[in-house]
Amino acid sequence: MKKILIFLTSALLCLALFLPANAADNSTFVKADYGTVRTLDPATVYDTTSGMRVYNIYERLIAFDGASTEKFIPELATKVPTVANGGISKDGKTYRFTIKKGIKFHNGAIMTPKDVEYSFERGMIVDQAGGPQWMMLEAITGKGGTRDSDDKIIDGVFKKIMDAVEVDGNDVVFHLPAPYPPLLGIIQYASSSIVNKKWAVEHNCWDGRLETAAKYNNPDFNTEPLQKITNGTGPYTLKEWIPSNQFVFERFDGYWGKKPYFKTAIVKYVPEWTTRKLMLQNGDADQVVLDPTYVKEVEAMKGVKIYKVPQLSYSAAIFCQKINPAGNPDIGSGKLDGNGIPPNFFSDIHVRKAFSHSIDWKAMKEDVGMDLIELPGSPNCKGLPYYKDVPLYEFSAKKAKAEIKQAFGGKVWEKGFKMTITHNTGNAMREAAANMMAENMMALNPKFHIEVRNVAWKDYTVKYRQYAYPVFIIGWGADYPDPHNFLYTFMDSNGVYGKYTGFKNAEVDALCDAGIKNVEPAKRREVYSRLQDLWHDLAIGNTVYQRTLVKPYRSDIKGFVGNPMFSDAHEYLKNLYK
Amino acid sequence: MIGVSILIFGLMMTFSPERRAAAFVTTPQMAKDIPMLIKKYGFDKPFYVQYFTWIKEVSHLNLGYSLVASRSVFDAFLYYFPITLELNLFASPCIILFGIWMGTIAGIKPNSFFDHFSRIFSIIGWSLPTFLFALVLMMIFYGYFPWFPPGVLSDKLTMFVMNSNDFIRYTHLYTIDGILNGRLDITLNALKYLALPVLTETIVICALLMRVMRSGMLEEMSKDYIITAMAKGADKKTIYLKHARRNALIPVITIAGQLIASLMEGSIAVEIIFNRQGIGWWLASSATQLDMPVLMSMCLVMAVVFVLSNLFVDLIYAYIDPRIRLS
Repeated sequence: MKKILIFLTSALLCLALFLPANAADNSTFVKADYGTVRTLDPATVYDTTSGMRVYNIYERLIAFDGASTEKFIPELATKVPTVANGGISKDGKTYRFTIKKGIKFHNGAIMTPKDVEYSFERGMIVDQAGGPQWMMLEAITGKGGTRDSDDKIIDGVFKKIMDAVEVDGNDVVFHLPAPYPPLLGIIQYASSSIVNKKWAVEHNCWDGRLETAAKYNNPDFNTEPLQKITNGTGPYTLKEWIPSNQFVFERFDGYWGKKPYFKTAIVKYVPEWTTRKLMLQNGDADQVVLDPTYVKEVEAMKGVKIYKVPQLSYSAAIFCQKINPAGNPDIGSGKLDGNGIPPNFFSDIHVRKAFSHSIDWKAMKEDVGMDLIELPGSPNCKGLPYYKDVPLYEFSAKKAKAEIKQAFGGKVWEKGFKMTITHNTGNAMREAAANMMAENMMALNPKFHIEVRNVAWKDYTVKYRQYAYPVFIIGWGADYPDPHNFLYTFMDSNGVYGKYTGFKNAEVDALCDAGIKNVEPAKRREVYSRLQDLWHDLAIGNTVYQRTLVKPYRSDIKGFVGNPMFSDAHEYLKNLYK
Repeated sequence: MIGVSILIFGLMMTFSPERRAAAFVTTPQMAKDIPMLIKKYGFDKPFYVQYFTWIKEVSHLNLGYSLVASRSVFDAFLYYFPITLELNLFASPCIILFGIWMGTIAGIKPNSFFDHFSRIFSIIGWSLPTFLFALVLMMIFYGYFPWFPPGVLSDKLTMFVMNSNDFIRYTHLYTIDGILNGRLDITLNALKYLALPVLTETIVICALLMRVMRSGMLEEMSKDYIITAMAKGADKKTIYLKHARRNALIPVITIAGQLIASLMEGSIAVEIIFNRQGIGWWLASSATQLDMPVLMSMCLVMAVVFVLSNLFVDLIYAYIDPRIRLS
């Protein structure tokens, strides 16, 4: 027995002494993240984690110029269109992009303007519920969707799409019904990535004909034909994707641009912070996703360089006013009987206000956010045009109690309730906010029971669109730096989050519409000022934070350029080198 | 097994038919098909009909769909299990051998330095939370001395396995596949990644075995047949190891069987801290995300594992103690 034990101990020691550590391979970049990928289909990609994969595998016509949110550089187009170079018509309704020649897709096919036309048209025709295509559709058709409020396809919308995007020789031309200033920002977005038409059709995507378009509209989540397969022109190809484990990129040797430094890039799913931290410390990860709560631990680390980038992003607690009760564990009994909540629980403004009074802002900013966050009072966060200093709901048990006592004619106070607040797995700040809200609400009345639950990102982004969560904490990073991108998203009854609050207010919808259609700055200021006030007055959702991104890299990694538009999940792999 | 299946079924019956039908929803859009699924799987029928329908589905390995793993529960189990199995293949012998060895010595020499040391060791091991112990070990052996990283295999070798057509994953256990493919570097590398998880499990779990073994030895050592043998001048080593230890092993084997069986459901703390995505990691994610099909299926799987482990323990009893065989 002794001998066996001595042998085992010695063997372990030998392993430690003689085998090299998992030293970083010079040709491999490793990132440790807690986000999980939902889809790789450019037409439906609309979250930062999936977007990072699409940004590196596919390319777009133009891209942001480094840290700028206003200047662009050409990517697959030969130049960025402007009025001066004739790329944009004087009336602002026509955009012309000349396409680069000889660029190869990963499967060896040569990219043509037809592929560009197809990619934009396909994206808009697909128009998945809660997906990114509302932006292009709003610019191209004047409406933020292909379906009306009853979810029926709008007559003639597909023809309008196909007529609006056309090939003219080596150019692709966009015809807009009205000037749309944020268009270039949308064209640089992941959902405007270019796919190979022939390959896509072979893989059961839309066949390019008007008659069949309706069949491909609004596909089920996780059933998109390009959800798991890729064929872009980008610097990296998909080598392997194991959901909730790791995502492996491999350098594309036929890439038209400068050869990327790293042959391989791996994004590992590591939800535990201590593990991520030690991986960074030992060089087993070149970059890790870091929440502000842990910034001080990383600042003390040797061999690590930290970049701080103020973000155009906003996280909020969203109150769903028409929760889906089918098989839903998050609303208990589904009734106001003390063991659950009714699906319309948050339609009562007193409930929303009570929850809004339950976040301790001082603790949030200083203890959770480590003074690296801002607390804007509305989704039009700091750094965006027409920002207004809207007040936060004061943290006050007295006021929260007064509000909840009025809810549902006093029944909520009398019967109590049971429900869940959800946040995405691994996000320590959102978890803290969720716990804060839950604890402070439960302290009001022993009959109040709130659980806090985390959900993996890939499922989280799907389930909120099923109206599954009573309160969900989620963030929004700018698609383009304009108040419309935030206020429409959170407040309009068709907005990406607004829709899933089940909230509908005619004044809000009209103001959102007026905001984007008006080009007069003074008028826009007036519209957005009112919308910001309404966010507060109607307690549609509640601020959680606007963060300054703190991004740590091993100090030998060079090439990172921070851009306020991109969150911690993002990485332009081709820019990085050692 | 029948009892356990009724118990699990009873637990499931506390959920509404909608919640039970949700176990068969593979895409979010299928949520609208819940009424159809209720009919299809008979969740609106009398409980005894539902029980037999459920048994039939389980026997066809239709355990539902895991949202966490984005695949069926059975496929997900096949994916995660090798990671847990590999850890247990190495941890189990260490736990048993180390626990028995320390318990034997402590029992033979009560109140000696070794006995005091082993008692302190077992108190620390048993009372320290696994997650804390795992974190401490990782801080020392990965944070301070960068020797034992978290994960399953180095990135370089993972890429090799991924890219190579020649490396065949016979068992999906890197340590064994490395040997079968003639790549000892992969086996050794996988062992390196196993070192800390195995050490954590060994120290935390063997404490109980050691305590039971020690008390068993003390009891046996005070019995008449041992005193007689000592008085007659029999070889001490033979008395300790052949007579006393053999008899003291019975309760140890019972506990060891239960401990090893419970390890098969994965150690949540160990798998999360050391980033080994096995059954424990899957279970923890499923529990926090209310992935009910996984939780219910794993209860059933664990019941099977415990039944098998009890059978195995009974066979070992017969080997250790001939009286059991005779009876």
